[in-house]
Amino acid sequence: MSVPSTPRRHATIDAPTPSATPQTTRLTSSILQSSPHYTTTRRHSLYGTEDRIIIDPGSRVWKVGFSGEGKPRDVFLSRRKESGTLWSLNRATTTEEREEEDRLLEARLQICLRSVFHDSLLTDPKSRKVIIIEHPLLPLHIKEMMAKILFNNLQVPSISFASSHLLSLLAAGRITGLVLDCGHLETTVLPIYAARPLYPQLQTTPLAGARFSSHLRALLLLFGTYLPPPTSLSAAANIPVATRSTRVPEEVLTEAVIEELKTRICFVGEALDMSDSNMQSPPADDSMEMDAPPSDFAMSESDFSRVSADLQSNMSSQQAPESDYSVVSHSQAISNLDRPQPGETHLQALAKLYMRHSTATDLRIRVEPPASQQVGTGRGTLIVPGWIRERAAEVLFEGGDVDESSVAEVVLESLLKAPVDLRKTLASSILVTGGTPMLPGFIPRLQTELLRAVSPNPNNPSSSWSPNRRASRPMSYERYSALRSLVPYFAILNHPSPPPPATPRAAASAGKAPAFSPAALAWVGGSLAGYVHLAFPSLRKRVTFNLIVLSALKSGGVEITREKWDEAEAHTNPDESMEQPMDPNAHTTYNLLPDWTRTPLPVGAPPAVIRSQPAIAPASPQTTVGA
Amino acid sequence: MPPGVEYYCPCLSSTPHPPPSSLASSLYSFHPLHSLFFCEECDAVRCNRCVMVEVSGYYCPNCLFEVPSASVRAEKNRCARNCFMCPNCQNTLTVVASDPPDNGETRTSPIVLSAVGEPPFFLYCNHCRWDSAEVDMTFEKPTGLAAQLQKFEDSAPEALEFERLKEHFEPFLPAASSALARDIPGVVKYNPLTRSRSGRDRAAAKSEIPDYRARVEAGSSHGLASGSGGEVDVDFMKHLETAGEVASLEQRWVNSWTTSLHANDLKPLRIPLHSKKSKRCPSCRHILIKPEQKAQSVRFKIKLVAANYLPAITVSLPHARAAMEMIKRSSALNKSTSTAVAEEHAAAASGAMIAGKTYPFHLAFTNPLYDPIQVRLHVQRTLTPSSADGKQKAPFAVTLPSSAFPIAAFAEAWEYEDDEDMFGDEGDYDGARGTKDRDGRARPRTVGVLERRANVTVVGGEVVLGKEARGNIKFNMLVTYTYRSDDPEPENDDPTATPSKRGTQDKQPQMKTFSFYTVVELGNIIRREESKVDMDP
Repeated sequence: MSVPSTPRRHATIDAPTPSATPQTTRLTSSILQSSPHYTTTRRHSLYGTEDRIIIDPGSRVWKVGFSGEGKPRDVFLSRRKESGTLWSLNRATTTEEREEEDRLLEARLQICLRSVFHDSLLTDPKSRKVIIIEHPLLPLHIKEMMAKILFNNLQVPSISFASSHLLSLLAAGRITGLVLDCGHLETTVLPIYAARPLYPQLQTTPLAGARFSSHLRALLLLFGTYLPPPTSLSAAANIPVATRSTRVPEEVLTEAVIEELKTRICFVGEALDMSDSNMQSPPADDSMEMDAPPSDFAMSESDFSRVSADLQSNMSSQQAPESDYSVVSHSQAISNLDRPQPGETHLQALAKLYMRHSTATDLRIRVEPPASQQVGTGRGTLIVPGWIRERAAEVLFEGGDVDESSVAEVVLESLLKAPVDLRKTLASSILVTGGTPMLPGFIPRLQTELLRAVSPNPNNPSSSWSPNRRASRPMSYERYSALRSLVPYFAILNHPSPPPPATPRAAASAGKAPAFSPAALAWVGGSLAGYVHLAFPSLRKRVTFNLIVLSALKSGGVEITREKWDEAEAHTNPDESMEQPMDPNAHTTYNLLPDWTRTPLPVGAPPAVIRSQPAIAPASPQTTVGA
Repeated sequence: MPPGVEYYCPCLSSTPHPPPSSLASSLYSFHPLHSLFFCEECDAVRCNRCVMVEVSGYYCPNCLFEVPSASVRAEKNRCARNCFMCPNCQNTLTVVASDPPDNGETRTSPIVLSAVGEPPFFLYCNHCRWDSAEVDMTFEKPTGLAAQLQKFEDSAPEALEFERLKEHFEPFLPAASSALARDIPGVVKYNPLTRSRSGRDRAAAKSEIPDYRARVEAGSSHGLASGSGGEVDVDFMKHLETAGEVASLEQRWVNSWTTSLHANDLKPLRIPLHSKKSKRCPSCRHILIKPEQKAQSVRFKIKLVAANYLPAITVSLPHARAAMEMIKRSSALNKSTSTAVAEEHAAAASGAMIAGKTYPFHLAFTNPLYDPIQVRLHVQRTLTPSSADGKQKAPFAVTLPSSAFPIAAFAEAWEYEDDEDMFGDEGDYDGARGTKDRDGRARPRTVGVLERRANVTVVGGEVVLGKEARGNIKFNMLVTYTYRSDDPEPENDDPTATPSKRGTQDKQPQMKTFSFYTVVELGNIIRREESKVDMDP
């Protein structure tokens, strides 16, 4: 296969020449688009290597590049210098606020999308088809807005949407697997069988990068140390560090600083083996609150990390202030610090415990002093205890909440929902993608947690298998006992150091994915899909696999062209002008965009293959109400 | 925020009227004048958010080499010559020769110190002293470094793996050679054959995909390779001494392959190319700006910028200026001024205003046209937001001169010399001048034309702050100006129905009107209480 040596035509050569006839560009390009001549000239080489533009838009980080390349051309923060994310899990409640939110989002999206073409890729949008890698839970209004900007403002010829989970799987060379995507806003697990995403089995939790950040901030506010810059250069030497050190002022921990800490110095330590009861028995002063140390400890730990910690019905009133503590992560840290807290001893105990177990070094980070204290010389110093570096990510692995299951628990929940006959297959091909798993040690820890959550919870909490955090939950009911038979099958495809596999099936997949970095998997898959994309439509004629891929690539297969879009818009506009913008959401264009939430999904088992194909292939004509 | 004026481009909203300036989203609709374009055809302002951008050429910002578009694609938008960026500080790297072999005799052989120097060559950062020898990257020749590196890039693990993935999925793609199988959109798409046949093949399909064997498996290193997120990395992180040992996210995130965490493993980066862009009006497709082709040139072939069509507006706060002078004077003369007063002045100098007071402000209009214009100003009434809480009342009220005022034509500086017109009638700005010397608040006249000179007219306005006002003082202002058009018939083919810089023609001049919105930002409001505390000694 001499694939690499295939000469690729440079796309700008065959691009339609709009500059010559400005007035008719729109028309010209679209005609060329669908004319056979256009396609044949372009699909000169093996796959028809017309480069598509692959955009992986995240709420924080965007990855962009051309299809057929092994890595993205550019990666940038969606808000550039500003802090914050493009969108969040919340939506404003009132209409005005929401409209304002939409306007802001549109303006920011426009900046991002324009910069993709004009700054990152330096290419003419009018001649480039675009593939957008969409998260399955990407809100429709955002999707719609992207399409609107791409078609109207940038005038791209066509857009396809492709599911990020499926693409990640393709990048791993598979079409079946359980994909865990741990991003900034949420962690989502989606089982995919034969390239068909089983959307009904999708599971999600808000424990992800953003939560990790706020937890890290809270820990630093409590346990970090800040050394203000010395007031004069000579004074530095004289004053001992101990007298200079203060608590960390909140202003120091800007989002940029937190981000830096997160990506540079944090990692995920191995799971603490709590079985050793004398190890974890807290200092004497705490024991009065702890009749059952392990469980109590677990409680405090999870309370601490969680905003809505009141799920623990058996929480003693003494511990109530602790749940206040969780608020810390959201702003009032300082005010909380000033009053004595019964819970603080708990946290101290927790800190001590972690400290004792952690051999990670404390680090000094230079930070900008807050504006109010801008008296000194130079920068302040933030001392990050080693255990925070190691244990801040614990927040992602502490489950227990119904709505906020741990990263391991979402995987199990999804498996629980998956059809029984697929469970083994899925459990033995777990793929971890997203930015947060870039933390060193994340994947090994996930494997440990998976096994731990499934393994039987012995009656004796101090037995060697006792996972403490589980002990805090009502133990009469073991949620994942049904999955216990899967234990030998659990295998993470991109595990950097897979444990000795217990079954041949696990052996065939643990650590067998190509060593792409988890964060880039979706993009690489998009690039791959884009590379073979032109060939996809004709795949329909051939093998069923292709049919499945195609229809399951629901969006990958369905391409929305600008003509369709314009048509749909033309349909809407007169209506709008008549009715006034009373009902701005009554776009027909909305219905043009394919989305799995709109596909009539069969209930229960994955669709029998025969039914599905005709259902999905003509999905676009069906949905294009306006067209 | 310093006081300033930005101009409105209606591309983001559906109405020609700008959103109220209190909304955060309005920020994106207003632009500084120098970044705006003006389409003569459409007679409209265009901004960088709505123009259509076309690449008219690529060049390397470092060596200013114009890169032909064919090689842009092959080189992945990067300079294919000798331009590299330091991975740590993004400074440009220089090619440095190795020290000549020390054979004892110094300075005796000038040949060694030739212009080229001794191989191996390496890249060196003049700023942070990074050099490429640290990452085992040396070169035999000092030129064409990118070409020498090319073979490494081609054999990059992600590239090879990607090729392998393509091969893996290839059996499922149609044979490219069979031209008949090619998809012709709209023709073959709904071939009934597709459906009938597909059902039969399906059963066989599932097992058709063999397992993919990765070239480099994630687990093949057993966590011993740095960057894989395995034990080695955890261990490394555990014993980290400084944060600087770990490469930052920005340095790593373009890599799709697991790469080392260590900062000292970073590779030099090829300098990304820049492009010269020409921009077109989104509705009529006429070119608004077109740069000259040459990379070295900074000139434009076509340049329809708004600054040539719209009067430039600058805003200034006399009280801030007065306060600034006070500070200077007090610090120069007597140090005994109470700090409170000084602070108040400092606050005022920075443009802050105290709630409940009235402040004048000056707007200076500069006419770029060769014809005098008449300008009329309107403040856009902020639609009282119907939000529930007591924000019903606008926190401040702005007064502007309501009548039209003239601005003289633009002319070259020497032409003004004995032009009588440049001096407005003295009475107009006498009062204004009188206000300056004393306390900046009680004045005979603040609203109206204060000064006229050359092609600049300064008008005064006044803002009355409510007692409860807070936040930023920002208001939208509609500027309407009337100019003499050279083209009497609008339906004429000649499209000069715009304030173009034309010389006078023999036709009967006709007056035309153009209006545009701006947002005027005056500064922050300080709460009264705070300032009172400050003022009391």
